[in-house]
Amino acid sequence: MKRKAYGRDAGLTLRMLFTGSLLGLLYVFFALALFYVLNAGLVLMLVIVGGLAFVQYFTSDKLALRASGAKVVERDEAPALHDMIERLAGMADLPKPRVAIIESEVPNAFATGRNKKHSAVAVTTGLWNRLEPQEIEGVLAHELSHIANRDVLVMTVASFFAMLAGLLTRFGLYSGMFGGFGGNRDSNNNSVPVWLIVVVVSVVTYFLSQILILAISRYREYAADRGSALITGAPEHLMSALQKIASQITMIPQEDLRQVETMNAFFIIPTNWRKRGAELFMTHPPMEKRLAALAEISREMGRPVS
Amino acid sequence: MGLGNVLFGRKKLKDAAGERLFAISTARITLETELDLKSTGAAGVCFKPLSAGEFVRAENELQELLDVVANESGSKVERRGDELGFEWLIIRDQDFEDLVNSVHLVASELESRGFGPQLLAALFPFESKGFDAKRVYWIYGFKRGKFWPFVPKGEDKERDNAEELELKAKLEQELPIESDLSRWFGIFDAPV
Repeated sequence: MKRKAYGRDAGLTLRMLFTGSLLGLLYVFFALALFYVLNAGLVLMLVIVGGLAFVQYFTSDKLALRASGAKVVERDEAPALHDMIERLAGMADLPKPRVAIIESEVPNAFATGRNKKHSAVAVTTGLWNRLEPQEIEGVLAHELSHIANRDVLVMTVASFFAMLAGLLTRFGLYSGMFGGFGGNRDSNNNSVPVWLIVVVVSVVTYFLSQILILAISRYREYAADRGSALITGAPEHLMSALQKIASQITMIPQEDLRQVETMNAFFIIPTNWRKRGAELFMTHPPMEKRLAALAEISREMGRPVS
Repeated sequence: MGLGNVLFGRKKLKDAAGERLFAISTARITLETELDLKSTGAAGVCFKPLSAGEFVRAENELQELLDVVANESGSKVERRGDELGFEWLIIRDQDFEDLVNSVHLVASELESRGFGPQLLAALFPFESKGFDAKRVYWIYGFKRGKFWPFVPKGEDKERDNAEELELKAKLEQELPIESDLSRWFGIFDAPV
């Protein structure tokens, strides 16, 4: 007897596929534009940006823990937390990640790490103290799902080209300012200078890729919510956890919130919660949509076996 | 792991791998003769209950399941929850082979009802009496079909890692043991 696979969400998969393809296409156009306009500088750029992405990817766990003030704790310092994470990691078929605690009244949690073996989960003292155990479980399972879905890798790859575009913009600007673009000295003054083309293409690419990357980030959040429901078998606890966390965050003045932008992608609720803005520019889906998606999962789980 | 999982996120939990459970039946002999570890005559099956309607309906069937197992094997089965939100089916039988069979039966009954992914582990406690009295658990993880030893010590949720590694070395030839040590999670409030 096979259970209905409530982990599937064809709509979400399609949207991810579509966005990923758009991003890929964008990079292809960008690469083509570069190829026709630049020559030697590109290789150097790729090496630099590739190197940066590599370093970022490899130090992602240490960097994230350091930046957020998280302190890795051993079992004797936090036995209950270790217990919970161990069991959930067992359910999720993951090796046990490192466990870290952040001293903060604001309930929140994040996961990081370049792969399953070098991963870490951090929770704030606020989360541990203010939420019910089952709600904490839901949040931890969400973070473990980020690890299982290798989201650090996905976001690093996605942002690699955005970084490249950003760097080339600057490269183009500097070259233009000092007039050092080979092969263009003898063209007449009416034609558009090469560096300007590079800048425009880079800016447009960067802007569009940021939008697409944010969309991918939002879809990964839905996927992690879904993963949490799979692991705990009880999405309603994650729902109540999300609501509690969100309401806590809005009560706290803006000045106390961490402004670590890229880290927001891995916090369960983005810390710049107040600046709602258009959904297009958010790393996380709006709360109502997350809750609606979880409610749908809950209904699917309740349906009889097909 | 799969490229599909990375691109689209995981859609389901890994299903249970119950077949290699039986290895502990034969390993028992080594445990008894060479290590003076005897089964306590009990074992536990740990699973995470779903809160959804499907599972709640299955609760009634679960009682049926327990009766089926009890009748087929002569073992005694009871249910218990634990503090971490998991459920345990505790099986008691003085004959170790029957005990392992019952554990396998419980697991496959749960699987046939579609709750394979909810199965976490089976727990087999052993103890040695006398001078060097200690308690050793062999845990079977359903997700990967591997065993690992668990030796709690002291009051404060500590583990005797040295002992565990020694046990691994001694039983490596007989039991499929989990090679990734970061997956050797413990069960500190074991109900058996």
